[in-house]
Amino acid sequence: MTIKFTDRGITRRRLLQGAAIAGIAAAAGPKYSLAAGGSVLRVRSYADIQNLDPAHRTGQPDGDVMNCIFASLAVYKAGDTWSWQPFAAKSIKQLDPTHVAFELHPGIMYSDGFGEMTADDAKFSFERMIDPKTKSEYVDDWAQLDHVEVKDKYSGVIVLKQAFAPLWNSTLPTDSAIILPQKAIEAAGGKFDTKPPCTSGPYRIKSWEPKTKLVLERNPDWKLTKPDFDEIHVMPIEDEKTAELGFEGGELDYTWTSVSSIPRYLKNPPAGAKFVRKPSLAYVWMGINQDFPQFKDIRVRQAIQYAVDRKAVVEAAYLGAAETSTGLIAPGLPGHRTKGLISHDVAKAKKLLKEAGLENGFTCTLAILNKAERLAAAQVVQANLAEVGITVQIEPHDSGTFWSLGSEKAGSSWKTLQLIIDRFSMEPDPSWATAWFTPEQIGVWNWERFNSKEFGDLHKKGLTELDPAKRATMYVKMQNLMEESGDYVFLTHEATGVLYSNKIVPALRPDGIPLLSRFKKA
Amino acid sequence: MSDTASSASGAAAYRPRGRGPLRRILGEPLGGLGAGLVALAVLGAIFAGVIAVHDPITIAPIDRFLAPSGDHPFGTDNLGRDLFARVLFGSRIALSVSLGATFLSLLLGVSAGLVAGYGPRWLDNGLLLVFDALKSFPTVMLALFLVTLTGPSLQAVVLVVIIANAPSYARMARTQTMSLRHAEFVLAEQSLGAGAVRIISTHILPNIIGPLLIVASMDIPVVVAIEAGMSFLGLGVRPPTPSWGSILNDGFSYIRESPWPVLAGGLPIIVTTLGFTFLGEALRDAFDPKRSGGEKR
Amino acid sequence: MLTYAVKRLGLALAVVGAVIAVVFVMIYVIPGDPAAVALGPRASPALVAELRQRMGLDRPLPIQIVRFYGSVLSGHLGNDILSNESVLTIILGLMPHTLRLILGAMSWSILLGIPLGCLSAMRPGSIFDRITAVLSVSVIAVPAFVIAIYALLIFSIGLHWFPAIGAGEDPMDELYHLVLPSLAIGLGWVGYIARMLRASILDVQGENHVRTARAFGLSERKIVFDYVLRIAILPTLTVLGIGIGQMLSSAVFAEIVFARPGIGKLVYDAIITRNYPIVTGTVLVTTAFFVLVNLIADLFIAWLDPRVRYSLQR
Repeated sequence: MTIKFTDRGITRRRLLQGAAIAGIAAAAGPKYSLAAGGSVLRVRSYADIQNLDPAHRTGQPDGDVMNCIFASLAVYKAGDTWSWQPFAAKSIKQLDPTHVAFELHPGIMYSDGFGEMTADDAKFSFERMIDPKTKSEYVDDWAQLDHVEVKDKYSGVIVLKQAFAPLWNSTLPTDSAIILPQKAIEAAGGKFDTKPPCTSGPYRIKSWEPKTKLVLERNPDWKLTKPDFDEIHVMPIEDEKTAELGFEGGELDYTWTSVSSIPRYLKNPPAGAKFVRKPSLAYVWMGINQDFPQFKDIRVRQAIQYAVDRKAVVEAAYLGAAETSTGLIAPGLPGHRTKGLISHDVAKAKKLLKEAGLENGFTCTLAILNKAERLAAAQVVQANLAEVGITVQIEPHDSGTFWSLGSEKAGSSWKTLQLIIDRFSMEPDPSWATAWFTPEQIGVWNWERFNSKEFGDLHKKGLTELDPAKRATMYVKMQNLMEESGDYVFLTHEATGVLYSNKIVPALRPDGIPLLSRFKKA
Repeated sequence: MSDTASSASGAAAYRPRGRGPLRRILGEPLGGLGAGLVALAVLGAIFAGVIAVHDPITIAPIDRFLAPSGDHPFGTDNLGRDLFARVLFGSRIALSVSLGATFLSLLLGVSAGLVAGYGPRWLDNGLLLVFDALKSFPTVMLALFLVTLTGPSLQAVVLVVIIANAPSYARMARTQTMSLRHAEFVLAEQSLGAGAVRIISTHILPNIIGPLLIVASMDIPVVVAIEAGMSFLGLGVRPPTPSWGSILNDGFSYIRESPWPVLAGGLPIIVTTLGFTFLGEALRDAFDPKRSGGEKR
Repeated sequence: MLTYAVKRLGLALAVVGAVIAVVFVMIYVIPGDPAAVALGPRASPALVAELRQRMGLDRPLPIQIVRFYGSVLSGHLGNDILSNESVLTIILGLMPHTLRLILGAMSWSILLGIPLGCLSAMRPGSIFDRITAVLSVSVIAVPAFVIAIYALLIFSIGLHWFPAIGAGEDPMDELYHLVLPSLAIGLGWVGYIARMLRASILDVQGENHVRTARAFGLSERKIVFDYVLRIAILPTLTVLGIGIGQMLSSAVFAEIVFARPGIGKLVYDAIITRNYPIVTGTVLVTTAFFVLVNLIADLFIAWLDPRVRYSLQR
């Protein structure tokens, strides 16, 4: 996962030669420095790398780079539908619900003299993820792993305790299935951060200036695929608008845009560039804390559900670029609901409030993350709720405060949290969406304090159900439970706008996340 | 940018004597301009409710990013709100916050400065340390800290302004008090047994407050700029309150969609800054004995 | 003079110490758990507790402060909570970018501000003087981020004259990348310096020694450069000293808009993500820098201006 935190963390940094700057030189003419040769790909990442260890990676900026410098068992296919292909493995096969056989390609060499990739390394790498000593944040990706059986130098069998549905969707094709040699990890002291002890992917790190630029270069020992670009320059730019301007200024070959810029770029892509709109897996919702005294009465929560004009909220926040959602699970994934249970109905909202004895309205707060889109969304919610007599006070927070609002560990703000607009991103398996709303997650990530045992049980069952149809029904039911609780107003999945130079052909997952090592020249 | 009073019209030094201060202010073209612009801002704030046709916080997403027209003289913002109404109502916040924050910083700064300048040596050193520490604390960081603590609010803006400005006033007041504490009339009062409070309030304060007031008047627009900067970092007033800073910040977020919100938020800031600066300078030239050709009040 | 210098230095050190103590108090008070933010959503409570302990956040406030002073004296500023890298190394790596930005902004304000101030002062009340006055005050009023975004839209996106983002590759390229961001920070200071200088020139012109020089029939040019400007430039120098500190603070605006690496952005990000070792380290370095620059400016003035020197010796 994937809740997007802003960038943090920095490490070593080259000491800059003290260039004497006496005045301002009015050098003339633009200088298109590196891209001219066409063998350098310049891309934007929303933050700098923080941790490249598969067991401790922090977010997409790490993942983008790890995809390039390591080899995982499988990878996602680029395209518009979710599927995967073997990568370090020549073949992967499900023998029965709890056994998966794999055979590695021979001749994948690690850097720094760590030799060839073997099935022993796979055993070490996967079992390391679940080893309590590793303390991996990603232990759930391998939740049902029992052990890995090594057959011979290149082949082995992954043995599960019980069937595990997300394995194929969000474990094997991700960074959780990266294979690294035991010797290297041990030499690094059991874990590493931004300086991998060795690499094994299509690219390797050439240089890194924290917060400024990361340069990847082609790995000469990599034989499985032939990457097109000699170098990939990854620039951490947090602000989407700045990235858009950087692209238009000719300094990037690829970036994704802010959601609200999508209509403008669709209508009018910059010269020499192409623009595509991709559906996103993320989900945005407004939550209602059901334990807050004002909201203990379900009728009050339902009144809010009916009072919010979700269409208007999404339209205003994203300038028409995104559509309203029906739940947590985006179209294209099993468990997506075609329709929600509640639609905008002011009269009904007023009636519910009257029944609850609150026809004269009340005042409450709405917490948001301090971003233009959320600010716009919150102000429409504010106007909607004013129509039924509820006065909303908007409370924008910086990310440090926002992400600890509902956590019982971080203070007492979870008690006074009332309404909140929140966004989680996810991997392409529905269990990633429901994991955060179970009863065990109350006060951890379940900030609405939604408490449904039935939901929790269904989530556990969903993890081991391998029949896609049965599984889909479960997740539909779970989203119904959420909506019926009165705690949730599902807003949107947003969308991803991708802007790229017409000199390149990007390789993108269906949700628009880049697979950098497979980008091609046009 | 506040503690060094920038003097303007040295031209005043060559002016004929004997005209009243008011006429001198309005007679100087820039002084007249300043007074006019300040009047414009004040009238806009007072009569916002009468002048504005639209409500400043009613949203109409269909009408977003409209260009200026008869109905919307400054256009509309990303939620279709009338920018003209937002600017007018925003001037209430801008002026009240600016005046309030400046008054409070002056009050606190001057009191501390008087105490430091007149009090014992150890107290002076201690206060000097406090002034310098506050002054060297990065403003942006101060704002971030205060706002994470209190949430975005007018009070937070006011507090940031006070902490940023008061130390300068305190230092000025301290220096001038020190130069006066050994003056003959003060020594005379002391020998007659007058208490420190009496000496400070009746003899020192009236002598030092003039220049400080004028410097403070020129700092008033700085407050608006601080509010705008805080809004840009997401630390300004609470939405949907219309403030010039939040108009600018919203406009910045959507600058590729429409150039009007940034202009609508920026123009009044320029207008009030011009107004208060030129008015303040004209005031100083009119009242400063050194500059008004030796004329004494 | 020497006693003065020593006393000022002592005060400067005390200021830095006090500022750091205040930062620790603020960190102690504000909400948001750095350990939770750093580890992200998938961390178990046990992991968070462990990191808190490693960061020393579980200790009483005075002990945290004293420990920090101790480690500063031994040359350490602590480690980044995520990458575990030395904060000092990070700051030293990013500082040059911000210093260049400030130097660039200074250059703008000196190269444009001083001529404008002199020209205005030569003909006070003229049309040129008044237009300069209105323009100067206007650019002072416009927030830096507004200038930044318009400069970017016009000169990078519209005209393609300057690069839009980043800090550049080699020294020449870095200079080229510096033009717009430093203008955004420095433009307000151009107006400010112009007005300051004009005012002090007019002030000095009224003084006796200048009147005497004029009475002796020296050329206006000689008077302005030899007698007036030498004195009149002094308050401007003080203001520039303070200005460096304030530019350090406003650098964050240019660094965000132009996606430049630098100290302003570093500390901004560190605060909102509660990466406290970076916050305290950066505040220490920037405050020390600010205090030092002011100290140098003051000593420089004291050395240049006989009146100040005399009053100090008294």
